[in-house]
This record gives sequence, structure tokens and C-alpha cells, in this order.
Amino acid sequence: MPSFLREFFKRNGTGMGSLMLGLVLFWTVGLIILPQLSMLDFSFRPNLPPPEIGGPRDVYTLENYKYLIYGPEGGSQDYNAVDLRVFFRTLVAAVCVTVFNLILCYPIAYYLAQTKGNHIRIFALMLIIPYWINEILRAFALRIIFGETGVLNNMLVGLGIFDTPFDFIRNDIALYAGLGYAYILLMIFPIYNVIESLDRNQIEAARDMGASWAKIHQRVVIPYAKPGISSGCTMVFMLSAGALAAPQILGGPSSLWFTQLIYQQFNDNSDWPQGAAYAVVLLVTCILLVLAVMRLFKVNMGDIGK
Amino acid sequence: MKRFTFMRLSLWIYLGVFFAYLLGPLVIMSATAFNSPAFPRMTPWECLTFEWFGALFRDERILNGIWNSILVGAGTVVLSVAMGLAGALMLTQIWPKLRATYYTIIIAPILIPGVVLGISTLVFWDRINRMLGLGADSWLSNGLFLTIIGQSTFIASYCMLVLVARLQRYDMALTEAALDLGATHAQAFRKVLLPFMRPAIASAAVLAFLASFENYNTTTFTFGEYPTLTIELAQKVRYGITPAISALAFIIVVLTVIAALANEASLRRKELVAAARQKATVAELESGRLQLPGFFRSNWAAAALVAVACVTVAVAGTAALYSPAQCIADVQEQKRLEAEQRIQELLRQRELRRQEQLDQQGEAVPAPAAPSGSSSGFGGAFAPGNLSGSSEAEPEAEQEPQGNSSGFGNVFDPNALSGGSEGGGAGD
Amino acid sequence: MSAGVGVDLENLWIRFGDFVAVRDANVTINGGDFFSFLGPSGCGKTTILRAVSGFLEPSGGRVLIGGNDMKGIGPNKRPTALIFQNLALFPLMKVWENITFSMEIKGASARERRKRADELLDMIALPGQGGKLPSELSGGQRQRVAIARALCAEPDVLLLDEPLSALDLKLRQHMRTELREIQQRVGITFIYITHDQGEALTMSDNIAVMRAGVIDQIGDGKAIYNDPATAFAASFVGENNVFRGKVKRVMGNEALIQTNRSGDLVARISSANQGRMKEGDAAMMFIRPEAFALAPKGATGTHFVTAKVNHEEFEGNAFNIFMEGDGGKELKVSIPNLGQSFEDHTGQNITLEYETKNAVIVPAGELAAE
Repeated sequence: MPSFLREFFKRNGTGMGSLMLGLVLFWTVGLIILPQLSMLDFSFRPNLPPPEIGGPRDVYTLENYKYLIYGPEGGSQDYNAVDLRVFFRTLVAAVCVTVFNLILCYPIAYYLAQTKGNHIRIFALMLIIPYWINEILRAFALRIIFGETGVLNNMLVGLGIFDTPFDFIRNDIALYAGLGYAYILLMIFPIYNVIESLDRNQIEAARDMGASWAKIHQRVVIPYAKPGISSGCTMVFMLSAGALAAPQILGGPSSLWFTQLIYQQFNDNSDWPQGAAYAVVLLVTCILLVLAVMRLFKVNMGDIGK
Repeated sequence: MKRFTFMRLSLWIYLGVFFAYLLGPLVIMSATAFNSPAFPRMTPWECLTFEWFGALFRDERILNGIWNSILVGAGTVVLSVAMGLAGALMLTQIWPKLRATYYTIIIAPILIPGVVLGISTLVFWDRINRMLGLGADSWLSNGLFLTIIGQSTFIASYCMLVLVARLQRYDMALTEAALDLGATHAQAFRKVLLPFMRPAIASAAVLAFLASFENYNTTTFTFGEYPTLTIELAQKVRYGITPAISALAFIIVVLTVIAALANEASLRRKELVAAARQKATVAELESGRLQLPGFFRSNWAAAALVAVACVTVAVAGTAALYSPAQCIADVQEQKRLEAEQRIQELLRQRELRRQEQLDQQGEAVPAPAAPSGSSSGFGGAFAPGNLSGSSEAEPEAEQEPQGNSSGFGNVFDPNALSGGSEGGGAGD
Repeated sequence: MSAGVGVDLENLWIRFGDFVAVRDANVTINGGDFFSFLGPSGCGKTTILRAVSGFLEPSGGRVLIGGNDMKGIGPNKRPTALIFQNLALFPLMKVWENITFSMEIKGASARERRKRADELLDMIALPGQGGKLPSELSGGQRQRVAIARALCAEPDVLLLDEPLSALDLKLRQHMRTELREIQQRVGITFIYITHDQGEALTMSDNIAVMRAGVIDQIGDGKAIYNDPATAFAASFVGENNVFRGKVKRVMGNEALIQTNRSGDLVARISSANQGRMKEGDAAMMFIRPEAFALAPKGATGTHFVTAKVNHEEFEGNAFNIFMEGDGGKELKVSIPNLGQSFEDHTGQNITLEYETKNAVIVPAGELAAE
């Protein structure tokens, strides 16, 4: 037995130590690592009926990935324009949602973190309550608002801003609002946590030296809050790129989200390997994007989730 | 000073907009639960009704979904809190060289898209199932098992974060002290570490249950024959919206508010008691005559809690006594009359137009944009097929009455169909 | 109980990777003794304590308690109780629950536990405070609760890891007396870890002086103070003036040292080194500030030191004279204040004398950092 394991069991006792180690191994290996590897492996296999799995036709193939780029074999187009467009649109939209959320949430996170008083607790409560409510119901609420006969249209037309009801759904505005809405808390919380630990005196000192508010934020607060900002952005980006409920409920009939394609491959086409391949593409792209941005802003993985 | 007030003002406007965005949808959704139209909408207000709550409780699938959600939630809470706690403890004592890698692994599920987790869980356990040579009905391919496993993968990471935050304030010397005083490792864990972690474990459990309860992305791949409430809701929302869903949302909102206020009130009370104990003298503590602050004293959350509870009771009481039948009948009657009137109107207009066209052929007079009247697009925009609203609209609104049948809204409203298509016809 | 249970460390080695925390320690602690490990932070004294209490497995050698080898026996099975540096009182348990935790483990009833807690609370002079939480007590009170909790487990050996370090000076001095009294009352072996020589000297029957994992000297307070075995022990315990030089001649238990700055001086070879020092050896001579007396100006000989005065101060009980000393260090002299007149010598050369028995010679070695 290696010395660190012996040390581990000595510290935690044999029974407690085994239980702990067992749970951790089950989680990390059994639930995180192996399923991901299994999905990766699966994505390189052809879609076969169960009896043929493990048979002679069950060989590794790039077919599923080719499909995303070139479309079905013998198809009329050179590229799988539909799926590729959905893929890039999803990524771009997720970036937009992230930026929108950051702009919306930074001020409130700053305000909550730097203000003291009872009303801050009420605000915090008001922030959290919507997130105790089902994701589907949140999307549903927005659909009520953004529907053609919804509250917003009634209001806008009633005020004479629009002549005719505006189709928020078909124009994806409802979708973006819904995605932004869904992840507000995930943006606020990390930023709030970091800014809360910022010494107020630093801000006062900067103000004392005559810095404007914009300057203070640019030079003092934002550099300090960078880990929180990147943590929030990472989470919002990953979750909105991987969102499924909001696009299904708030998306227009013609505008698909990439996750919806994955869902279709699994549930409608019953083509699991194809779906797995799409999922791998989504996962890998998102991770690469996040890593690239983190490298760009010099933030560590360890800052995520703080 | 002027600048200061300007800053103040813009701050409050910003806060107002922010919270309107955050809470507005919930308020509106809740309100639609009490309006009688079959499509959830707030305007126009027709009749106060509680029938959607009745409809909700008669819906077998919803009730079954709630039950499944509770089953899944219970399993997920137990598994993810256990794994999260083990993971957090491991993080505090893992070999330093492995620490960063280990942290990345256990934090990764938060960032992995839910659909990916669902798929990988499904694919992996399906393979295990096949490797063990079990049939399609084995417990490994059971929807309940797969959903709990799939959800716990990432919910355990959330739990881990909550628990690690508390664990960082734990002094490992406490466990050593317990061992030193003769406790076994299990006793030290149970009597010293666990009580210390209890608040965080409670938070983690609540968080885990809520996360499980609302999860859709992962569950949608794994639920099998155990559709949870979220799955059922998604089906309903995608294929047909009724205010019964609003009623469910309203119930959840109220429960949430009550739970949040209760939690806040008890926190506040604990703070007050602790403050009082700090100030108390030994004699007071000993004799138990310590004057503790009253429950409501300087505890806004407790007061708000009682207020919400009172309102809830009042609403429930009203619901039991109140019957909207008369109102609904009135509205229906009015709608019928309006519809009739409109048909008359349309017929007259059609007649008029035919005559105009005849005139146009002769004189080439530019046609007016649209006929005005009660059937104008304005009313239609507000609520197609509902003329009680349109009659209040400004009569001079001149615009093309358009075909409202394109909006999904009125598709679900049987009353709208005739009005909408007629309106569209009139615009031609 | 009066005989108590002794503790022996035999050839004890403790390594963390390549780092040697304890190097070949051999200590015999008699039953019922108040034994201190004294050394600067990082010298390995806490490591020894953790090895005795069972949190650390020795890399080599043995720990014996009451003559029994403790190998493989966990901390919860050893007849020791440890008082942690930060006390480690259970924050969520009331004082009485804290004190009787060891009874709870054994399944004692709440009534028994309360009764025992009351007895112990009386002993530590905190009657009626059992219902409080540890956070509601003062530092000194918490200290006493920690002691009561450890004693409640009825250990044969009580281990204390710098328990007074968090207290303020006055309370620390008060607790010294109290700890010593408690030890004498219960009669069990106390092993005490400290970096404060005052604590070690006032309370201990015996002291082990540690430096970088090595035990330099074991002895009672007087022996350590008056008869240090190494340069480190001499410089770490109490204030001391060092004179570096070479052994010029050995004369029985005394030797003539050729010092770098102060000529040839005679001093006693410390008992641990008698018979081991020979001519030409590098040596250090130590004289305590209070061992000097003013001598007539210009007196010369092998027990006179002449140096220039840098500055002087009056400390109340003594006059302190700081003079140019060896190796950049100041030479400090304390003349007790007995009401005599005292003129200012700043800038002058003065001559001091000492008695040979008050100056000790040890082999040259590492000095304690200031």
C-alpha cells in the first residue's frame, strides 16, 4: 500500500476512509470520467441494432462526425449547412447571452456586495426566489409575456409603440431573454462573492485621488473581480450553450438550438452514436472556447466555482 | 449633490428594471392562474376563477410527475450530499500534487452541458447493462436509477462547493481532539464533524433537491418510465398551454416565498438570540431567566412570513366559497353578442367594400387604409376574439386589421378562431 | 497514582519525505513528572508530541508509555490526552458536554456526565458555567475547560502543546502557577511543549532543549540554565554573553580560553563536556549578564573583561550596560539595583569581573537565533 494511502486510512480510520474513498471513486470514475469516455467511444461507432453491437460491423468510424460537416452521404449539398448553421448560431448566441448577462449583472452584484443594510437581505431573497422555481416554469412565464397576445405586446401596442404585435418568439428575442433570465443568478453570485471581499477603502482611496466612477471600476474593481467575472461568464456560457428547455419552449419553430439537434438524434431518430458525436462536438468546442478565453484573461480553473 | 442624486436616481431605476425583469414574469404568470380564459393571459381580465387549481389537481400526469420528482429528488439528495461531502473531505487532505487535477474533475460536471451528462449516463449504463448481460428491464436501465445517477453527477459538485466552504472553517484539530479523547473515527465524524457541518449539509440538501426538482436537460434523456414533473411540464408547455400550469407555478412560488421567509426569519432569530446570549450575565444564563427577544421584534422576515401566510389562508378561503360561474356565463354571453355583432359588421363592410370597388373602377379613388370600427386590429392585438377589450380601444385607430391566426396564442383559444379568420377576411 | 506512568522515547526518528523532523531522540520521562520540551518553533517538539499521542507513526524507534510499546495503537486507544495549541474545544457543545466528551464516547448517562462535569468545573474554578458555549468564555476560562476535558478522560499522561501561547502575558503567568498546581494535585505525568523558556523553567521538573530535530540537553531547570551542554542551549535559555575562542589549556574541570577579543579567560567546562575538550578545540564561553560585577578600572587577569560602553539603561530592578562585544553582538551586563549610586559610563572603557564557576565553556556550535 502506498504511503499516502496508509496515511489516509490512518487519518480517517479504515471504515470511514474506505467509505469516503469509495464514494469519491464512484463519483469521479464511475459518474464523471467513464461515462464521458464511454460517450466518446460510442460517438465513433455506427448506429446498429442491439443484436449487432459487438458484432463484425461494430467498428470504429468517423461517419458520425463527417455527418455534421458534410451531411448525409449522397446528399444534394456539399456541406451540412443546416446543422452547421445551428451549431455556430448556438455558440454566437450563447456568447451574446453571456455578454448581456454580464452587463446586466455586474452593477447589481457590485451594489449588493458594497452596500450594507437590511434591504440587501431582501434583495438577495428576491434574487434567489426565482431560482427555486422550475426552469420550465420560468420559460413558460416568459412565453406568456412574449407571446403574440402576451402582456408585452399588449403593452407596446397599447402605448402605440408598435402598430402590430411583434413576434418576439420568431425573432428569438424571447429565447435570448429567457436564456439571460435563466442564468442571472449564476452570473451575480461569483461576482458578488469576489467584490464582497474587496476592501472598501481601496475604492475610497481611488475616489480620494480623484478617479471617476468609470476609472475606479476599470482600474480597481474589475481587475479585482476578474476571477468572479470569468467564473460567472464561464458558467453562463456553458449553460446557455447547453440549454435545452428554454430553446424548446421559447425558440421559434424554425430556429433550432444545437442541443435540440442532439435531442432529435436521440429521441426522434434513435441514432444514439450520432447524438453522442454531436454532444462530444458541443462539449469539446465549449471547453476549448472557455479555456481560450481563460487563457486570454489569465484566469485559473481553480477560480471557477468560488 | 446634484450628481449624487442623479446617481441615486439611475441606481433606483436600474434596480427597478432589474427586479421587474426578474420578478415580473413570475407575478404575471401567477396572475394568469386566476383568469378564466383557457389560454394563460393577464389582459384582458375576464373573471376571477380558481378552476385551474382544480384542473391541476385532477391531472393524473402532473400528480404522477410530482411523485416521481420526489422519488428522484430524495435519491439525488442522499447520493449527492454523500458524494459531495466525501469529495469535499478528500479535497482537504488529498496529496497536493493531485489537488488541482482532482478539483478540475469534480468541478467539471457543473460546466458540462446537462444534455451531455444525460447522454453519457445513458450510454455508459446501457453499456454496463449489456456487459453484465442484463435485459432491458434490469434496474441498471431503470429510469429512476439513471435519473438519480445522472443528476447526482453534477448536483454533487454543487453540494461539494457548499460543503467545502464550511469545511474550510473547520479545525481538523477538533477531530483529533475527539480521537484523542477516545472516540473512534466514526464517532468523531458523527459527534464532531457532522454537527459542525449540519447547516451546510442542510443547505446542500435543499440545493440538491431544488436542482433535482427543476432539472430538465439531463433528465430528458434518462427518465425512461419515470417522467418527473419537469418532464411532464415540458411536454405540456410544448404541446399546449393551460392556466393549470400557471396554477402550479403559483403554488410553487408561494411555497418558495414561505420557505425563504421562514428560513430568513429563523436565521434572524438565531442572530438575535446569540446577540442576547453574548450580552447576558452568568446569573441570567444559569437561572434560565434570560430575557430573549420576542419572535417579531426587529425581525422583518417573521412579520412578512405571517403576512404571506395570512394572505394564503384568505385566498384559499375565498376559493372555497367563490364561484365564478355567473361571471363566466356573463362573459360568454357578451362574447357571443359581440361576435354576432361583429359578423353583422363584417357583412356590412364587405358589402361596403364591394360597392367601393365598383366605385373605384369608375373614379380611381385611393382606398382608405382600412375600415375602422370595433373589429379593428387594435382590439385584435389585445386579445383576438375578445371584443369586450376592443370596445374600449380608441375608435380612431386606423390600421389594417390583420390575421391573428398566425400567433400561437389564439390557436389555443377556440373563441379566437372565428373572430381571427373573419378579421383576416375583412382585411383582404 | 503517585508513581505515575512514565514515557520513553527510544531512538525515535520521524521523517516527512526527505525532511527529518526528529533525529534519534532518546528521552526518559519519569512517571508523575512535569516534563517540558523547549525549543524554537520548527524544532520538532510538536512532532514528538504527536508521536506520543499517536497521530504520527514514528519512522524509526519506539514510543513506550508505562513500558508498553505503542506501535500500531491509535490515539483513541492510548492513555494520553492532548491539549491542543488552539485548545480545539468543540464549538457546538456546551462546556459540560465538552468536558465529559470522553464519557459520552463510553456511553455514560447524561446524569453521570453532569455530575462529573460539576466536579471538574469546581476544580478549575468555573462553578456553574457548564451551560455556556465555549465561545461565551474568556481565553483563560477556555484554557481551563480544555484542561478539564483532558483530565476527564483520566489519562495517565497529559500532553500540552503550547496551550498558553494564545493568552496575554499576565494571564500566561497566572496560568503557569495554576497548571503546576493542577499537575501536583492530580499527580499524572505532564508533557509540555513550549518555546517560552520562562514557562519551561518555572513549571518543569525536567526540560529537554531541542534544536532542529535534535535534543541538545535534558535536565532540570537549574542544570539547563547554569550548566548548558551546547552553545545552542546556552544561548536559547535565558540571556547570555558569548565569547568565541580556542581552548588554550585544559585544567581539570576548567580551561583557559584564548578569546577573539578579550584575551585569555578562564571558565568551567560544562559537565556534559568535561573530559571531552582538548587544547586547540574551537570553544565558546558563556557568561550571564547578571554574573558580571564592576571591577576596578584597568584590572587585568583571566577573569577580567574590558570593553567600551555603547549605552546604558535603567530597568528598575537592574542597571543594564551594553558594551562592544564579540562578533558584532553587544555584551550585556546587569548590575542589580541595590540603591547604590550609578554613574554614566557611555563611551568609556570599563572592566568587569566574574567568578569562574559562573562562566561555562562548551564546544563551539550554532547559537539560537534572536
